[in-house]
Amino acid sequence: MSAIEDAETVAQVSQLDAVVVEEHVSAWRKFFAEIAGSTKGLSGFVLLVLVLLVAILSDVIMPQDHTEQIIANRFLPPVFAGGEWAHFLGCDNLGRDIFSRVILSTQTSVAIGFLVVLIAMTIGSALGAISGYFGGFADTAIMRLADFQLSIPFILLAIIFMAIFGPGFWSLVVALSVAIWVNYARLVRGETLRLRELEFVQAARSIGVRDAAIIVKHILPNVFPSMVVMATLDVAWVIIFEAALSFLGLGIQPPMPSWGVMISDGRNYLFESEWMTLGPALGILITSVAINLFGDFLRDTYDPKQARL
Amino acid sequence: MLSFLIRRLLYAAVVIVCVIFFVSIIIKFIPGDPVDVMAAGNPGITEEDKQRLREQLGLTRPVHEQFVVYIWGALQGDLGQSIRFRVPTAQLVLERLPATLELTILSMVVAVLIAIPLGIVTALRQGSAIDYGGTVIAILGVSIPSFLLGILFILVFAVDLFWLPSSGRGEFLPYAVWHALLNLDFDIFWKSFKFIILPTVALALSVTAWNARLTRSAMLDVIRQDYIQFAKAKGLPDRVVYLRHAFRNAMIPSITIIGLQLGYLLGGTFVIENVFAWPGVGRLAVQAVFWRDYPLIQAIVVMIGGMFVLINIVIDIIYREVDPRIRYVGD
Repeated sequence: MSAIEDAETVAQVSQLDAVVVEEHVSAWRKFFAEIAGSTKGLSGFVLLVLVLLVAILSDVIMPQDHTEQIIANRFLPPVFAGGEWAHFLGCDNLGRDIFSRVILSTQTSVAIGFLVVLIAMTIGSALGAISGYFGGFADTAIMRLADFQLSIPFILLAIIFMAIFGPGFWSLVVALSVAIWVNYARLVRGETLRLRELEFVQAARSIGVRDAAIIVKHILPNVFPSMVVMATLDVAWVIIFEAALSFLGLGIQPPMPSWGVMISDGRNYLFESEWMTLGPALGILITSVAINLFGDFLRDTYDPKQARL
Repeated sequence: MLSFLIRRLLYAAVVIVCVIFFVSIIIKFIPGDPVDVMAAGNPGITEEDKQRLREQLGLTRPVHEQFVVYIWGALQGDLGQSIRFRVPTAQLVLERLPATLELTILSMVVAVLIAIPLGIVTALRQGSAIDYGGTVIAILGVSIPSFLLGILFILVFAVDLFWLPSSGRGEFLPYAVWHALLNLDFDIFWKSFKFIILPTVALALSVTAWNARLTRSAMLDVIRQDYIQFAKAKGLPDRVVYLRHAFRNAMIPSITIIGLQLGYLLGGTFVIENVFAWPGVGRLAVQAVFWRDYPLIQAIVVMIGGMFVLINIVIDIIYREVDPRIRYVGD
């Protein structure tokens, strides 16, 4: 059965089925049918699963010790340029295996990407819901704060944070979270304003459901699809900015491995050993292409109205 | 119009004061003070010298007083002295500002000039090979970090091909254009232009991709509207329908987002300046963080932030002119 037929059958089945559990299962089946039916979705999904597996299992699949410096291996070229298979992406200026470092950096980047988006999404959607649901002073205060922040370019915020806390993993997480919470606050506020007036929310209110319960049970689930789309694309943005800041020396600090730092090291040897930049470059590229493909697919499928950021 | 302008300018003033306030408060939280930073390289300095320096710099006064003094100074164009260079920070930033501005603005212009036609063509040929190619370029464009693209360009066009310089900067581009026109000498222009090509293209790609997608989806929305169908039905040629009727409305989302994109581009400029050794504010900012030159960081944030707020007012005004619907709602 082709993917599209499958999706149609599943859709019909889920219409007929009233049982909640089965509806849940068919929603997942429908989701995978959608993925299988789209080139963007499928390629993005496969790459993304690959990247996530590498990030989770990096300690296991890393072929060499990422900190071990072997003098004989300094500037060892990759295998296609006359190197050896044991270090197939070559070695860096300190004789460390580049492939292992690229793999471990995946963990760093993915961790930062997810952590930042999770924090920003939690804080942003909470503030957005409060702002939209209650209105009044809270709304004014939160939205003024958002406006204020949007009127300052992100890079300036990042520089302030790095100057104060000193560059590092947690300063980076804070700076990037501060940069994107506004996206979620605005999204959730807008939707809350709309949903608040709808009958099912009015009904819940009239039978005396508490405000917090209305927000959590009735409003947030309705915003969730748009939020997931935004979050997916934001993970790619965070990973790219993490790399850029680390490249400038304002992000992850060695010895913690990071693509940005590796590229910054490699830049000093661009003329003789360009493979030092090749490995980390491929790492960033594969990861962000994977997330962007998948995020694009999610948006096309579940939230076609959302403008691309 | 006037009341709108006054309101926006007042708002801008409030934002700038808030920025100054925010930055000064936060800098107060840093352990140690500028004097400790200054003294770091001088083992001979005594506690008394430090105390004298603190008094000279006004650091012994209460915080709110320091803040008022800073704001008062800022109004007169004095944003304090750089610890590293011992010259006014405003002067340091102003010296570097043209380099950053020319790079950011040229990239924005290039991005818009390429993105809008690309967006329109891919929308009108939806589902064709061109559209497919556009999608691939767009995904790659938003996925490649600009600094990586910059390094790739250096590798190809500077190291391998020797076509373009990998670092440095020529004369301020508008001056170079002016001088070249005065002397009718293309070389004068090229001497400056060749430095800016690689950084500009590296910087512009992601914004081009973003804008092209935006224009494409706006155009797709617009051409489904009744008035476009009507224009077609009354027999207007496609060219007129698309370029006169559809195009203007399809541009609105791109213009709205230009302010946001400029902020994003500025971030890219700060990074790209460090790739191409471009002597702009971005390099200065990164160096200032390493030197812990807090007055300089503060000046950079206040000046660039302030400039950004003013640019956004200009964009608002343009936006109101292009789309009259906004004007009536706004007033």
